[in-house]
Amino acid sequence: MSSGLPPWRASASATTTASVYPTHATPAYIPVQARRSLTTPVSRPTTTVPSQPAAAPADEDSSARKRVEFPPAVRLYVQRCFEPEHQIPGVTRQEMETKLKSVITEAAQSDSLHKIDWANLPLPQVMVQNDKTRILANPEASTWGSPYTPSAAQTYKHNAVSTDEVSKKRKSAEYQTESSNGYPPWRQTNKQNNFEDRITYSPTDKRQRIDFKNSSSKSKANLEMRKKRFEDPRGGYGSSPSSRGASPTPTPTGPVVGRCQELEKNYFRLTSAPNPDTVRPLPVLMKTLDLLKKKWKKDNNYTYICDQFKSLRQDLTVQHIRNEFTVSVYEIHARIALEKGDLGEYNQCQTQLRALYAQHLGGHPTEFKAYRILYFIHTRNWTAMNDALADLTPADKRNHAVKHALDVRSALALGNYHRFFQLYLDTPNMGAYLMDMFVDRERLSALAAICKAYKPDVNIRFITEELGFESDEQSARFILDHSAEEMLQEKAGVVKLLTGGKAAQLFELSKTEAHRVVDIKGQI
Amino acid sequence: MITILEQLAEGQRELSGALVAAALTPVDTPTDPNRLRSFYNFSNAAQISTSIRNYLNQACGRVKIPKQELNAWIDLFSAYWKVIGELLKFEESPTRASWVQVFDNWRDLANLLIRGYSNFGFENWTISCLYVVGKYLRIFASKADAEASAQISVAFYQEDAGTDFGKSAKTEEAARVLNRMFTLCLNDRAPLEASRKWGVYYMTNLLFKTYFKINAVGLSKNLLRALSAQAKELPDLEDFPKSHIVAFKYFVGVIYFLDENYGEAEEHLAYAWQLCHRDATKNRELILTYLVPCHLVNTHTLPNKRLLSQSPRLEALFRSLCDCIRKGDLHGFDTAMTASEEEFVRRRIYLPLERGRDIALRNLFRKVFIAGGFEETKDGQTPIRRTRIPVAEFAAALRIGTHADSRTRIDIDEVECLLSNLIYKGLMKGYIARERGMIVLSKGGTAFPGTGV
Repeated sequence: MSSGLPPWRASASATTTASVYPTHATPAYIPVQARRSLTTPVSRPTTTVPSQPAAAPADEDSSARKRVEFPPAVRLYVQRCFEPEHQIPGVTRQEMETKLKSVITEAAQSDSLHKIDWANLPLPQVMVQNDKTRILANPEASTWGSPYTPSAAQTYKHNAVSTDEVSKKRKSAEYQTESSNGYPPWRQTNKQNNFEDRITYSPTDKRQRIDFKNSSSKSKANLEMRKKRFEDPRGGYGSSPSSRGASPTPTPTGPVVGRCQELEKNYFRLTSAPNPDTVRPLPVLMKTLDLLKKKWKKDNNYTYICDQFKSLRQDLTVQHIRNEFTVSVYEIHARIALEKGDLGEYNQCQTQLRALYAQHLGGHPTEFKAYRILYFIHTRNWTAMNDALADLTPADKRNHAVKHALDVRSALALGNYHRFFQLYLDTPNMGAYLMDMFVDRERLSALAAICKAYKPDVNIRFITEELGFESDEQSARFILDHSAEEMLQEKAGVVKLLTGGKAAQLFELSKTEAHRVVDIKGQI
Repeated sequence: MITILEQLAEGQRELSGALVAAALTPVDTPTDPNRLRSFYNFSNAAQISTSIRNYLNQACGRVKIPKQELNAWIDLFSAYWKVIGELLKFEESPTRASWVQVFDNWRDLANLLIRGYSNFGFENWTISCLYVVGKYLRIFASKADAEASAQISVAFYQEDAGTDFGKSAKTEEAARVLNRMFTLCLNDRAPLEASRKWGVYYMTNLLFKTYFKINAVGLSKNLLRALSAQAKELPDLEDFPKSHIVAFKYFVGVIYFLDENYGEAEEHLAYAWQLCHRDATKNRELILTYLVPCHLVNTHTLPNKRLLSQSPRLEALFRSLCDCIRKGDLHGFDTAMTASEEEFVRRRIYLPLERGRDIALRNLFRKVFIAGGFEETKDGQTPIRRTRIPVAEFAAALRIGTHADSRTRIDIDEVECLLSNLIYKGLMKGYIARERGMIVLSKGGTAFPGTGV
């Protein structure tokens, strides 16, 4: 855009003087404009002149004809630019228009209107997008070579084959985003970042505000917040387009194809469209997984591993990779999170896994169905438990792990602590990590029952064996932690728990305390 | 002779909401198999409003309807005419017919009706129209969703994992319109005798049904909150039509039931049960499906034979389970639970029914106590049952009860655990003396509270 736009500006002043889009000349640019400004029903303070969506192409076309006779190929090209199926999310209409103008002006000035292969020239929105990605990445690494500056447009006539490829590639991506057009803009922000869908936060969450600060002026951000408040509180509703008559199935933003070759990458929660240069493609991700497995065995550093797995999952999500490898990534991360007792992270994986298993992509569905049941025992989410039970097939129920989990559930439902602790000591896979979470709670329930039912006392040995403690010391410690000192007494060389009313009361109290609602980060 | 228009005109003349609502019911009746067709043939798309206007002017010329209101009614019935056109396509050319179309048009009609109440002074005697329109809105929505998902499953690759997206889009849309109708009723400030508040429970019930259908039971609680916030302004529950209240109480009961709040649940379900019309077989069955498990958990009592024999479905659902509990047949109980597990889980009654095993166990152990006979007594005194029973006897009973074969080991510790649970839950009274391997039950006919021994 070094040359300015004198002829154009003179003729079509109504649609020009849009905010100047910084091209490669300002490499610090970070593209965060995820919304198409024209669909917003408010005039933006940054725009000096509101542009007219529908009239714009015809306008430009006719006004241009006054000065220069444009060949039909150019007009077709302009038409294509404005066709909805060619819009790219992340490139605003304004940016596209500016680019289009500069391309045509440049061509007219250099008298090359008839020389350029307009049919194969990439659409301005494609150029804008490529510019953006190239700026973010190392300019030398870019596969596109020279930027699509207006002066470079001429080269396309020599270069038709390769550019054709480019535009075709884009189209497949564009196609997938097409149906999101029927959405009001405040919806679109969220739709764009579809990889965030799993994360639930309140509309007033700070993290979301960051997006608005980046994207536009403050007053507008406030307006968006206001709109959000008036949205239906239920997430599910937001997804259906109500009376707008748009297609009922908005497909998420088209998948990115990554180009990053680094194996490791820190997790960063994206606030804009992903950049292909920082996304690793599948073959690289596979190597990453191997590396992570080795590192986990060697260093056992959970903070590092969790971070790496999150970025790995993110790369999979933004590229829409959903296959056996995806399943194994989630499974491994779920297992590691379980081992470290990170239930929030585990639950995220579990939720995704359930969906992945529904697509029959392999993996270990029964193992995780069993975890799911144990998890709901822990969170005591009976509604979800009902659903989980309804999900099981007869084949699932014959599986050892699932059967174990079901037995655990039934033992607890009936208060059969004897059976429960037998099952606890014989838990398949990694279920024991989950059971550890609620085993103390159940010990208190059992002790409350024991104290009420036995008289006058029981051996500490009995408690140890019955409640799955590792040693008498451990069980004694547990009892003392949750009741009073005088409940344990030594008689004839044996430590005994004095049962009866007082002890029962104390354990009943601790039990109620322990059974308060479980609150877990990341739980739906 | 066009029944629909006659009903409309007569309804307006007589101020009969029932008649106008009947006019808005989009079905043929046995007495009038051409009901829809005759209305549709009455005019064409361009002239339908004019035609209806002329008809109404003629038919109820003497009755003065305010102009705005009249126009709203005419718009409403023009929209109705369109829907009927869509419905008739199912007879004429099924390939072009679509429930989605029917739903969309019916939704427009519903919106017109809402506007009629909020802007054009539809009066509260016409409230039945809201019922009919709401009812069919829900029906058409589920048909539209069924149709859409049948098409989608052929050509749609589920792109975003984990969402049941679009599966019930129309039903969700219906829920939103119904919600507007609900607020329309709830927030009417007219004096009670002319208020739409009388429709509030009917609309609530429709919304409950819709929410249950889209698996969003949680949303029902918002309605309950809204209702209780307005409780002072609402007429007494008893003054509403019984049919509204029965359904309302049933749903509230089920909502508590799903939360495992069986106490509250039983209260509401019992209310519904008392009030339910005796010939409403299906509704009675539904209420009992949840009331029986509630009662089992709360009071440890089983339904009697006569209650179950009224309905083959309930008989099949509960009979064998109840018999096994009564007899203390643990093996039979487990078999019955497994056999009907799928059905129980689907109806969400598995978890409470499972607790029936405690009762079965209690009954089995009670037999041990009775079989123990009486202590030797001195002459003239009333005999006392033997209250000190070896744990081994309970273990033996358990062997019989669970059909254990010679190889199955019955763990004495487990028997003690079961006993201690029954004591803890108050189903037995007494204590375990572990060192002597004995159970000491309380004397004086309270060893098994509530069972006479």
